[in-house]
Amino acid sequence: MNLEEVKPGQEVVILGLSGKEEVLEKVKAMGLRKGRRVSLLQKIGRNLLLKVDNSRIVISKDLARGIEVQ
Amino acid sequence: MKSIRVALAGNPNVGKTSILNHLAGTNLKVGNWPGVTVEKREGKVKFWDYEINLVDLPGVYTLEPISEDEWVAYNYITQEKPDLILNIIETPNMERDLLLTVELLEYEIPLIIVLNMTDEARKLGIEVNDRWLSELLGVRVLRTNGRTGEGVKVLLPNIVEVFNLKEKPKALRYSKELEDILEKVREREDETKAELIRKLLNSEKFRELRESIKSLMGREVQDVIRDERYAKAHGLYREVVERKPLTARDITDSLDKVLLHPIFGIPIFFLLMFLLFKFSFDFSAPLMEWVEGFVNGFIAPAISEGLSLMGVGDWVQRLFAEAFIGGVGFVLTFVPLIAVIYFLLALMEFSGYLPRVAFLMDRFMHKLGLHGKSLVPLLLGFGCNVPAIVATRALETKRDKFLVMAMIPFMSCPARLVVFSFFAVLFFKNPAVIIFSLYLLGIFVAFLTALLLRKTLYGGTLYHFVMELPPYRLPTLRLLFRVVWVYVRDFLYRAGTLIFAASVFIWLLLNLPPGVKNPSESLAGQIGKAISPIFKPLGLEDWRISTSLIPAFLAREIVLSSMGTIYTAEVEKREEPFVFLEALKGQAIGFGNALKEAVINIFKPVPTAFEVEEEGSDSLRSLIAQSISPASALAFMVFLLLYTSCLGTVAVMWREAGKGFALTFLAYSLLVGWLFGFFAYRIGSMIWNT
Repeated sequence: MNLEEVKPGQEVVILGLSGKEEVLEKVKAMGLRKGRRVSLLQKIGRNLLLKVDNSRIVISKDLARGIEVQ
Repeated sequence: MKSIRVALAGNPNVGKTSILNHLAGTNLKVGNWPGVTVEKREGKVKFWDYEINLVDLPGVYTLEPISEDEWVAYNYITQEKPDLILNIIETPNMERDLLLTVELLEYEIPLIIVLNMTDEARKLGIEVNDRWLSELLGVRVLRTNGRTGEGVKVLLPNIVEVFNLKEKPKALRYSKELEDILEKVREREDETKAELIRKLLNSEKFRELRESIKSLMGREVQDVIRDERYAKAHGLYREVVERKPLTARDITDSLDKVLLHPIFGIPIFFLLMFLLFKFSFDFSAPLMEWVEGFVNGFIAPAISEGLSLMGVGDWVQRLFAEAFIGGVGFVLTFVPLIAVIYFLLALMEFSGYLPRVAFLMDRFMHKLGLHGKSLVPLLLGFGCNVPAIVATRALETKRDKFLVMAMIPFMSCPARLVVFSFFAVLFFKNPAVIIFSLYLLGIFVAFLTALLLRKTLYGGTLYHFVMELPPYRLPTLRLLFRVVWVYVRDFLYRAGTLIFAASVFIWLLLNLPPGVKNPSESLAGQIGKAISPIFKPLGLEDWRISTSLIPAFLAREIVLSSMGTIYTAEVEKREEPFVFLEALKGQAIGFGNALKEAVINIFKPVPTAFEVEEEGSDSLRSLIAQSISPASALAFMVFLLLYTSCLGTVAVMWREAGKGFALTFLAYSLLVGWLFGFFAYRIGSMIWNT
């Protein structure tokens, strides 16, 4: 499934990222990379609040859709 | 004295700005990076025999720039080449932060690693072996606490030593495969790793090499290098960090459960905004009144007393009293308000709440084609347009900044309320309804403007939402006061010079040709008469109205006093004996009282700022009531609502977005004000004049 389909409170592992946007490189640099554990804290509007390691990251759903998780 | 150029580099929210504040103290300067609307913070420190120039680079996660602020940081490192880099790392997120460290090391510039917030990291079970890190990379590793300033002073001697000894980091070694490839690219002995990589990625010469690597490794060269960097950062992290499993309850998680609650988060936000406004207005109102009294009742008579003692001519005295005091003195009265707003904003920003507002409100704002972060400057606009425009610096893209900057001046501020209450009470049965409708009209025009701009100049899709929410932290008072002082000083200096020049210009218009007695004979009066046909379709053909708009360009509420002068054609002069010491004592007592009142105001449940007072004298009231109709009064209010009749706003826009933007916007606001004023007059005439 992709990250958009994850429910608040769930913890998942990132399998891969896809998408043409160069913003994806920024997202990766922020810690959302293959093999990382991510927990979804909250969904508000078009955005998701994630916890990766000790940082909290907000990304919009259009980006989350391209992130395959398990 | 030798100078050392030091760049502070790090990820966003790692505490670079706090460290710079502690290092530079009040020698901090804020401004813009040339050509872009990204805030630039610089500081200068004299240490031993050196002048250390510190530059705070915008926070970036990687040196692969996308947005404007990322380009600023990238260009500084690659082109300006600082003498030394302070790489600030937020220790709790060290693994992520080390990626940037690896990229910075490629440039082979002397570097010091600053481990910030090690106390927070310890609570999370993260222990760093800094000696091992230092040995692995060949750089000094120091610890600081950006919040309290602990450990910051030790940075200075280390900067000087590293600079003097020309300590360079150890050469970074990637995997053997990549290193071999990079050696093929090398043409000179002294090329840095960054230069080799840039050539490998971009140079036409190595196209074939790139192709062969791609077919060999099955990936683009760019991705190969990225993976190597990640691997290096990850490897470093594994080497130097020891993680203990700790299940400490995180205060940020608990606070977020409340403040970012899907249902309660938004009402809490509005409550906090209400409190922000209430505090800033109620606390600063008595102080502003005191400043006004101080300027008019002390500075002004003291200066004219001094000037007449020196035997300066009458017109010089009047220039000082009217242009200097009337213009610059008037702007000074806004300083308490601006200082308090900055203080509360800085508190919201440094505590970590401000970024959360963007996340919380994005769901409404993005429907309007705006980023969630845009809401805060817009709301501030209701308080005062000037700090609101400065607050657009927090927005990431130029498009968002310009869009929001073009919306802010339509948010009705208290200066407009003063004028509205005068006219609304004088002409209408339900003044509150009229005033409320004017506020709504302002908001409507703001969104209309945004829509127009999006359809024309600033099209394109909405930027993806990507941001990090920092943990909540309580900033120290010292840090907050320093930040406020830096902004206030900047406001006083830069806006002050322009405002003084414009005040002198307007004063000259009102007082030329020499010896003019009556406003109608002055240049301003002549201009007012010349432009009055323009205002005829708004029902404002009286030259006295159009003339009163000229001095009102300084600030809208001046329109009332200038109408007073022009309508009654008398310049009142108070002749009171002025005793310096006596007056000084009175001012000191007044200041004490104002401060007391300010503190009491905070605890009043209802904001005092919204109490409508009757403005202007009775004689002016009846004169104006006779000269224009209710429909014309409405048109006048609409015109003054929409036209940016405020030198402070134009000046700050000029500074933030450039001359072209500021003047075009001024012209646009005039046009919009006229158009809506015209409609208001037509509709009003149908209702009231039949």
